[in-house]
Amino acid sequence: MNEAAALPADHDLLGPPERLHPLYLLTGLGQALRGAWGMLAAGAYFAAQGSWLIVGFMAVLFVLLSVGSLYLKWLKLEYRVGAHELRIDSGWLNRTSRVIPFDRVTDVDLEQGPLHRLFGLARVKLETGGSAGGKEEEGVLHTISLAKAEALREHVRARKGLAPAAVASATETEGAPLFSMGSKRVLTAGLFNFSLAVIAGLFGLSQTMGDALGFDPFERQFWIDLFARSGPVRDLIMAHRIGAAVAGSILLVLLGIGTGLARTLLREHGFRLDRTGSGFRRRRGLLTLTDVTIPAKRVQAAILATGPIRRSFRWWELKLQSLAQDGGKGDHVVAPLAREEEAGNILDSLRWPIAPGSGTWLPVSRAFVTSFIGILIPAAIAAIAVTPFLGPVGLLWIVGGLAAIGARWFDWKRTRYALGDGALFVETGWWRHRRSIIPMRKIQSIDLAESWWSRMFGICTLRLGVAGGSGFSDHHVPALSRPDAEALRAELLA
Amino acid sequence: MTATAIPTDLQPVEPGYRDALRARAASFWVPLFVASLIVNATALADTPFSGIVPAVIGLIGLSGILVAPDRIYRRLGYAIDGRFLRTVRGWLFHTDTVVPFVRVQHIDVTRGPFDKMFGTATLVVHTAGTHNSIVSLPGLSPERAAEIREAIRSEIRADAE
Repeated sequence: MNEAAALPADHDLLGPPERLHPLYLLTGLGQALRGAWGMLAAGAYFAAQGSWLIVGFMAVLFVLLSVGSLYLKWLKLEYRVGAHELRIDSGWLNRTSRVIPFDRVTDVDLEQGPLHRLFGLARVKLETGGSAGGKEEEGVLHTISLAKAEALREHVRARKGLAPAAVASATETEGAPLFSMGSKRVLTAGLFNFSLAVIAGLFGLSQTMGDALGFDPFERQFWIDLFARSGPVRDLIMAHRIGAAVAGSILLVLLGIGTGLARTLLREHGFRLDRTGSGFRRRRGLLTLTDVTIPAKRVQAAILATGPIRRSFRWWELKLQSLAQDGGKGDHVVAPLAREEEAGNILDSLRWPIAPGSGTWLPVSRAFVTSFIGILIPAAIAAIAVTPFLGPVGLLWIVGGLAAIGARWFDWKRTRYALGDGALFVETGWWRHRRSIIPMRKIQSIDLAESWWSRMFGICTLRLGVAGGSGFSDHHVPALSRPDAEALRAELLA
Repeated sequence: MTATAIPTDLQPVEPGYRDALRARAASFWVPLFVASLIVNATALADTPFSGIVPAVIGLIGLSGILVAPDRIYRRLGYAIDGRFLRTVRGWLFHTDTVVPFVRVQHIDVTRGPFDKMFGTATLVVHTAGTHNSIVSLPGLSPERAAEIREAIRSEIRADAE
């Protein structure tokens, strides 16, 4: 720790109080606007009513209130960079003085929205992995100059004794990235990010609000108006009610694909992952640039995930589970769309294996399927009993049940685990397939969980406690026979 | 009922905390009581329920302002043992929390309007993880809170080096 000597030794010595950049008044406005949906909706309502006076009044009131509150926030927020910690004093009525020791910082995120980029500013976030799964902001400096932000980042790195000299020079002369995505790769990723949720939402909206908005792609009139000048299409739609339904569905699907493409492009444009001396550095974004560092020491587990379509093209997404969250959205994505070799390269730089070199994949018990069928039996009996009364609906129940069993069987085919190279590998799921790679020394706790039902089938679930992550990243091996589970646990603890 | 005081190895918090709690309870119950009086006079005056709502709210409010803060204060204690922060609170829902300093990720000292009025502050320590990761200790004097914060800070530093 020879850098520590250069820094003020007195731990009480904090730097001079500093305020955020005055342009926070501008950059913070977007956030205030996002928080004022109700106000916007009311404004739109009054505008539609033609009450422009009220709209104007509301706009003035909104600007005054939000600028006033931003100004107050700016005035009352002071931060000091100390030798060992960052201290943020904020709030007016409720005043909070927060101390974040640099030793506890897991990653430093720099984020630049369009406005930030225009004025050379940045938003700095220090993640420590504390405070209930990242719901609350930890150490956020909303708007400071980019130079100060970078200096702060270097300072944090230096404090952590993580080869600061190498990092500092790396920012000027960069080697080849560990992983990067060209625009073609980003667009491919966008196609797979096909958003079913958007389609469902639009479908619901067009069905409930379609008449009021004059937008219902499932009504013939919509297409008649749209294609008023193109005869043949109109004739087709006039002739076939089904035509409108098909055209409507195609439109929604296109919208779903478009949304996925746009969202992915905005987020992943220019994706670049570098291996720095101490960890990873990830930069991405089209309008909002983010620059995140993930210390290698803090990585707890790796997750390779894929979906049913992506898998047939052999694409994977690689995520690293660290103590902190990726901007409150779960694990850190270090490769949104990669071949297995590329993901393997990234993991190799951590000296982690991607697949068990020694040791073989083992299947889980068949009771994974049979116990599931057992649950469905009462429902099946009920369905058969009511089929004579309900007719087709009862049949639908039975078909749905069979489909669920089929999916469960596919799940079982895809579920396996292996132990080798000092790590546990678990693959689960057919529709949402994922492989967890957990080094044995990162496992904090092991639970054997069984219910009265699973006990009847002689199976239990092995649940692995790994630090960090969230509800999204639950690592478990399902449906192990009790002796197998106990043997595996003994091996993991050895 | 004589309140069994907190274990002897624990320190009580500032007596001012009682008043802060009273003020906070009053700021909640007094407006509610006034509102119930208005509702009673306007909507319930001619019904057989007249007077019941303000009476109930007034009773609960009075106990909340006069009785509860003292009990909360009496049953709140803490101990600092070089490496641990221990907080004990509550009677019906009794909790006894021990936080090792080295597990603390970051530390807040917060003061609301009532805290400022009665010279108290709340120490909030955040630990890693998702369950029970925020431990707060209210009713400290600001100087004491800063002192504890300093102790935790130096412990974290010693751990890192």
